[in-house]
Amino acid sequence: MFTPGKQNRSVQLFQIAAVLGFVWSASCTRPTQTASSEVASSRTTTNDTDGQQIVIKKMPAGKEFSGFLKDYSKLKPNPNVGENALTFVRADEQKNLHKYIAMIVDPVQVYLASDADESKLPDKARGVAARYFHNALVGAVSSAFPAADQPGPLVLRLRSAIIGVDVDGEIPAADKSADSENALDRAVNIGKVGVEMELVDSETGEQIAAMVDRENLGDGAQIGAVNFSRQEKYAAAREAFDGWARRVREFLDSAQELSSDDAKRADQSYHPYGEPEK
Amino acid sequence: MSKVTLGVIVAAFVSSAISFAAEKEVSTFAAYVDSDVCARLMLGPITPQRIECSQKTYKDGSEPVLIRLSNNMILEVNKEKMINKLVGKLVNASGELRVNNGEMKLQAVTPIEASSIPAGDPARRLLDVRTYRTAGAPEIYEKIRHQLAMMPYISEFDFISFAMVGNDVILSGWTVRQTNRSDAQNIVKNIAGVGTIINNIDVLPLGSIDMRIRAMARAALQMSLARYFWGSGSDIKIVVKNGDIVLLGAVTNSGDKDLAGIRLNSIPGVFHVFNLLQVVSSSKKG
Repeated sequence: MFTPGKQNRSVQLFQIAAVLGFVWSASCTRPTQTASSEVASSRTTTNDTDGQQIVIKKMPAGKEFSGFLKDYSKLKPNPNVGENALTFVRADEQKNLHKYIAMIVDPVQVYLASDADESKLPDKARGVAARYFHNALVGAVSSAFPAADQPGPLVLRLRSAIIGVDVDGEIPAADKSADSENALDRAVNIGKVGVEMELVDSETGEQIAAMVDRENLGDGAQIGAVNFSRQEKYAAAREAFDGWARRVREFLDSAQELSSDDAKRADQSYHPYGEPEK
Repeated sequence: MSKVTLGVIVAAFVSSAISFAAEKEVSTFAAYVDSDVCARLMLGPITPQRIECSQKTYKDGSEPVLIRLSNNMILEVNKEKMINKLVGKLVNASGELRVNNGEMKLQAVTPIEASSIPAGDPARRLLDVRTYRTAGAPEIYEKIRHQLAMMPYISEFDFISFAMVGNDVILSGWTVRQTNRSDAQNIVKNIAGVGTIINNIDVLPLGSIDMRIRAMARAALQMSLARYFWGSGSDIKIVVKNGDIVLLGAVTNSGDKDLAGIRLNSIPGVFHVFNLLQVVSSSKKG
């Protein structure tokens, strides 16, 4: 393979710098208001650190799903992704995953656990969790579906939500960040969090694929500082978000596999340019 | 901060500076000035047919690129006007090479004669037709072809081609997805018997104008030539780059080929359609 060592080393260093920059931006950017069209199950409002109003959404008590997705009726267990995942992939000849080549990744929505006391939940930590997961999703899917900046006929929209975020105990003074910008009074518990996501046509809003993932990756994980992604003691939270993002990519990869009929046709159809005569 | 930590940071900066400087080293090598279209499709030697392809497609709007003769690597250049009068010719090119991006920051270009490249020099590889007649083992070729055909993220807007020189493989073509570029290389790397791989697959930018052209092109062809499209792919490949369309793949008659060209030429904003569709009998297509 033609990959000179000097360039490799240089690229590695730049990659390290890029990762550090990514982590820094994930933990330091300020929260933004997220656009939402769906009806929240709880409509308590609060202000974040920018003074912007945030709609707090809550997992409805006794319900199987949060209500975030446009449609849950076609979800089925998918062993390719795991025993805790329900998925749907549209099989329409004209509108299916194969017909799209780029993606807009919407800001991540956060749904609290049904019994969570939202008055004790720090908004800025919730915002940080949403942004970290958004960046993890972009990182996981962008090599397959590059980011698009506007809707179009070849563009999907990825809508996602983390469901079941809960409030944890007060953070002991000794463990609190000295920097007040990064300090939280209470930790955010993601121990029972799951993920709901769907891919919709960016122009029509039609559901093209969806997944409800209940894989418990966040057992014991919590977010105890705004810059949690840079603190080793919150590594479990980081790994959980990265893990859910990876599972979204695995779902896309499995959904993208060719059916046996399509594989046969693709095999017959593909000939490199200037193929030698047989 | 401890002295050890400080030392590590300083070492990292020094190492970074050295490697950055190293990457800026000027390389000089023999190259062929090609058009982007021919460079990514005509993976063989520099024959009169290839020179004709280079000059014709350049004239039709395909951008000029350099082909490094020693390994067939395609390099896009920052100053096209330094090479645009040399398309179809051999040159000595000097500049900063960015191998991973397939780019070169040109400093100087001098025309040369083929005879000035000494016998035995690796740069003669592309000049010697006999080298390219040493095709790879047919079973390896077929394995590569089949594996590339099964790649899940290949769409109507990607065309990946390859050629074998002995056991070495040159990957080429265009894709809208980074993952196709790296997956193709990994797939080929894992096939037993494959030697060196040169990856000339170009990852296309997804600018809004090109995206609009892609959507309109697919819609136009699906309307007129629906039988070449199926659920997850198509026999016709629509490569869109900076307003140009390269039409590849196969149709069963010349009427369909012409119709495809006419449909795409009527799309607003398209500069040029390179209609390289092959006409093959339906029995051969399977």
